[in-house]
This record gives sequence, structure tokens and C-alpha cells, in this order.
Amino acid sequence: MTDTPEVIDAPEVRDTTAALDALEPETATAATGLRARLHRSEVWRSAFRHPQLDTPRGRALQSFSNFFLHVYPVKVPKRVLKTRYSFRLGFIAAVLFGILLVTGVYLMFVYTPSPTAAYGNMQHLKTSVGFGQLIRNVHRWSAHLMVLVVILHLVRVFYAGAYKRPRQFNWVLGVVLLLITLGLSFTGYLLPWDQLSYWAVTVGTNLVHYVPVIGGTLQDLLIGGDQVGANTLLRFYALHVAVLPASLVLVLGVHIWRVRKDGFAVPRSEGGAAGAAGVGTFAEEATEQPADSALYSGRTRLLGVVDRESVTAEDRATDDTVFTWPHLVVRHVVVALGVVAVVLAMGVAFTAPLRGLANPNVTPEPSKAPWYFSALQELLSHFDPLVAGILVPSAIVLVLVLLPYIDRNPATEARNRKVAVLLFTGLLIVAVVLTVIGTFFRGPGWTFVTPWHHLYLEL
Amino acid sequence: MGEKRTTNRRQFLVNLWKIGGAVLVGAATYTAYEALRPFASGPSGGKLKLGAKADYEVGTATYYPEGRLYVTNAKGKLFALSQKCPHLGCEVPFCESSGRFECPCHGSVFDIAGEWVTGPSPRGMDRYPTAVEGAVVVVDTGTVEPGPDQGVHDYLTPPKGPSCQKGA
Repeated sequence: MTDTPEVIDAPEVRDTTAALDALEPETATAATGLRARLHRSEVWRSAFRHPQLDTPRGRALQSFSNFFLHVYPVKVPKRVLKTRYSFRLGFIAAVLFGILLVTGVYLMFVYTPSPTAAYGNMQHLKTSVGFGQLIRNVHRWSAHLMVLVVILHLVRVFYAGAYKRPRQFNWVLGVVLLLITLGLSFTGYLLPWDQLSYWAVTVGTNLVHYVPVIGGTLQDLLIGGDQVGANTLLRFYALHVAVLPASLVLVLGVHIWRVRKDGFAVPRSEGGAAGAAGVGTFAEEATEQPADSALYSGRTRLLGVVDRESVTAEDRATDDTVFTWPHLVVRHVVVALGVVAVVLAMGVAFTAPLRGLANPNVTPEPSKAPWYFSALQELLSHFDPLVAGILVPSAIVLVLVLLPYIDRNPATEARNRKVAVLLFTGLLIVAVVLTVIGTFFRGPGWTFVTPWHHLYLEL
Repeated sequence: MGEKRTTNRRQFLVNLWKIGGAVLVGAATYTAYEALRPFASGPSGGKLKLGAKADYEVGTATYYPEGRLYVTNAKGKLFALSQKCPHLGCEVPFCESSGRFECPCHGSVFDIAGEWVTGPSPRGMDRYPTAVEGAVVVVDTGTVEPGPDQGVHDYLTPPKGPSCQKGA
């Protein structure tokens, strides 16, 4: 009883800052400036769990204690910092998705998914909403860029051989993300409710009809009637603003998490190892244990589980890693700012197209799909819709999904996997040529026209 | 025995969870189907009373936006043709200069009876049954007859003139 008043009056309890300084000596500084006092205050410390200390421990704590930095590993191999390692394509795609989310929310405030209102909303954006047209332009160009960047990301990962063990499943997730991205772009395409969007979506949704047995039902479910109309607009809107973005966020989260957990890809020669365990070897190969070992049976005792990456790090002769904060984060910030600058510049320079109000009785000439479906539309003009519209795209998706399980060659360098590289490059060239023809060399009635004579470009 | 019984109970409960999960997924799928199922499908469905038979001259096509169809006269026989291209659903306009239907999307061409002439369409234009009641032509838009196969050319005649497609 007699001790109690002394405890309450103890200066370290009354002075919270001093007490916290005692608990967190890193924060305690001799500086007395406003900034130093703010950083030492209780409020600041309650919000930011650790001080920003420019020491190895401080940088590690920065990652551990920051929700947003949790997406990164604390340390990354030095080679990851080089632009040529990945061209930052995955990150750029994520930034574009972020821009699309922000601009999309702005657009939602002025958009009604109804055939009687949607087109007027587009005009309203242009004439009555400050920066409305700019927001729409940025949304449109970011969407096109995102499709392009996601495709380039896939191509880059293929040529780097980064889809191979242990990253097979992450490649599958990447293919799923590409499909969701295409779905987002396609559903968004209808929303302006102009002639361009109406007929592109009419052509696209009629493809579904050719799916054997259930095609008719599927088409009914997709467009909600016998032709693209109010029901279609409403369900495309729901898909565009809720179902597909939520799916993308979920899958993207797992995708990024797997990038961390599966380790960063490094060049690997035929045979699996570029040297003794260490640089040039996949993480799991240095430490791999048979999955069904005697670990859980008999009298073996499990003392601890060591992450594969941790063991690999120990195997390395020298530490070739750097702290993510600030080395990689700073680079990402610069790239993100660059992406924002590019889409803003595009938004200022180019206006998103808006044709006349959708008219179900008049098909405009020509009626083209968005550029990323041009190759498909080109095929459709030559082959049966079941083949060109259903079988070929399904086969492409199936092969992409199964690719890491079909391609058993462990080598990642192009010279050691010539067949895969040649086949992929051949298909890529065919797709690019068909896309260029469909986008630039087709006119009314899908007749061949030269773009320098008249450019029928639909974006 | 005791151990076996425990395992069975555990397995039973696991299976129960699986069945419950499957029922939940089934219910969610059915609800989604119900939410997305169109209230009415197919064309407008009614019978349209159009002009007198004598109004449709040989080689002409008359457009009826209310039925999204054309009534044509091919060698004296009347056809009611759906405006929708059997390929991918574009609206097929009639080209007066060539006397044929020319789809702007992928270039399919059909003759005055809706028979396939060229292009990627898998068949001719879909048709609605027509009848003459009194002096009036009646089209039943509730029944769609798939267009004739590509090889059918019963009413094919050479084009009257140039195509309407600019690049052709």
C-alpha cells in the first residue's frame, strides 16, 4: 500500500515519451526539433510501429512492420533491381490496375447502367463534369495498356523460362489474370453504349452461341435476352465493377504472394544446376526433400521447419541480396510515377472514342472488335465460328495453362530450349500478324484495305 | 476397433462438410442462374400483319424495323428474312445496287432469298414462316427457321450491279 503513490508519481510513468524511449532505444534521439518530437510522440508511435532507422535492422523492421511493404520480401537479390530482369511489367500492370480502380470509381459516380442513360452520361462527362473527359480517357487508355502489358509480361516470363518449377502454378494464375483482364476490358467496352461498343459486344457474345450443346443457354445468361440490350448492360456493369475486379484482386494477391514464396527466377542451364548449390540454382533444388520422407513417421522428431529460401540463402557463398526498402521500393515508386505520367499524357492527347448512340437496327461499317480480339475476328472471317471462335481460343488457353507441366525441360536459357522457344515465337508471330491485319488492314465488309489509304482503327 | 470407429466418425463428418459445401455451391450456382436467366427469350414472338402480296415486286426487299426483318420476293416467292446475320449477329443491310444482302461485319453475302453466296456465315439467313391471310401477308416471328445450307442456291441470280461495300 505504501508503495503505490510512489509508482504513480514515478516520472517514467508520467512521461510516456520517456517510458517509450526506454522501451525503444532506437527512437530516442538527442534531437529536440519539432520533427524529432513528433516522431517520439505517443500518437506517432502508436501509428508507426517502428522508427525509420537507416540501419540494416531498421530497414528490415520497416518491411516487417509496414502493412503495405508486406507484399515485398525484406531482402531481394541484387539482380532484381535491374530493369532488364523483368522490365517491371508485372508491377506496371498492377499500377495500371490501380489507376483503373481510382478512375473507375470516379466514373461510377456519374454513370447509370441503362440504355436510356449511359450514352448521355458519356456526353455529360465531356460537357459538364470538370476533368470528366480526362478521367474517361485515362481509364480507357489504361485499360488498353493493361491488356498490352499483361500480354508482354506473359511473353517475358515465357522467354525467361520463369514458369518452370517451382513457379508452375504461378504461371497458371498469371494466365487466369490475363483472362480476367480481358474480361474486364470487354465488359467495360459495352458501358458507353455507343455504336462501337454495341456491335463489338454483339459480335463477341454471339461467339458463345457456337459452344457445343450449352452455347444457346450460355449466350442467354450472358446477354439476358435474344439481343444485346438493357439486361446485357446491367450484367456487364455488375461484372465490370464488382465480380471481375474482386476476382482480380484475389488472384493477384495470391500471384504476388507466390512470387515471394516461390523465389525469384534465375537463369538455369540444361540439367538443372548452373553450379554447386548457390547462385544460378533454383531454391528448391538446393534443399529439396522427398515429399513423403520419413519426417512424419517412425521415431523422427520434427524440430522445426526451415523455409527453402532460407536454406538457399545460407548456401550462398556471399550475400547477394539488398534490402527491399529502400532499394526496390524507390525504383517501383519511380516506375509508378512514370506510368501515371504516361497515361495522363495519353489522356490529354487522345480522346476516348464515342460514336453515335447504340442502334440495334444498324450495324456500322466496319464493325470491329477491340484490337486484342482482332486476331480472333480475322480468323472468324476465314474459318467456321466453332473452330475460330471456340476451339482455337480454348486450345490456346489450355496449352498456356498446361505449358509448365508439358514442358519438362528444366533449362531456362533459350539456347537450351529451342523447340519451345521456336513454337512459342511462331505462334506469337501469327498472333501479331493477324492482329495487325485485323486492326489496320480491314475495312467495311471486312475487305482488305491499306491503312495509308484509309485507317479503320477501333480502340 | 475403437480407433477405427473414431476414424469413421471423423470421415463421416468430413464427408458431411463436403456434402454441405457441394449443396452450398449448387444453391449459389442455381441462384446465379435464376438471376441471370432472361425473362423472355427468342424473337418478339407475335404475328405481324404486313402489306398486300402484290406490294412486293420480284427482286425487292422491304424492311420492317418492328420485326427486325425483311420481306423479299425471289422469283415470285415471298420470304421473311431475319435481319440478324447467322454468323455473329450483325444486322445485314440490303444493298440495292447489287440486289443482295451484304453483312458489314465479316463480309457474308446472301441472295434475295437469303441463301448464302459467300463469306464466313455457316448458312443462309434465318427465315420466319409467311402466310397470306385474305390479301395481307402475315409473318409469324415466333418461329425461326434456320437458313438454308451453304450449298442451296435455288434462287441465286447474278448481282444486279456493284457491291455496297466500299473496299470491295
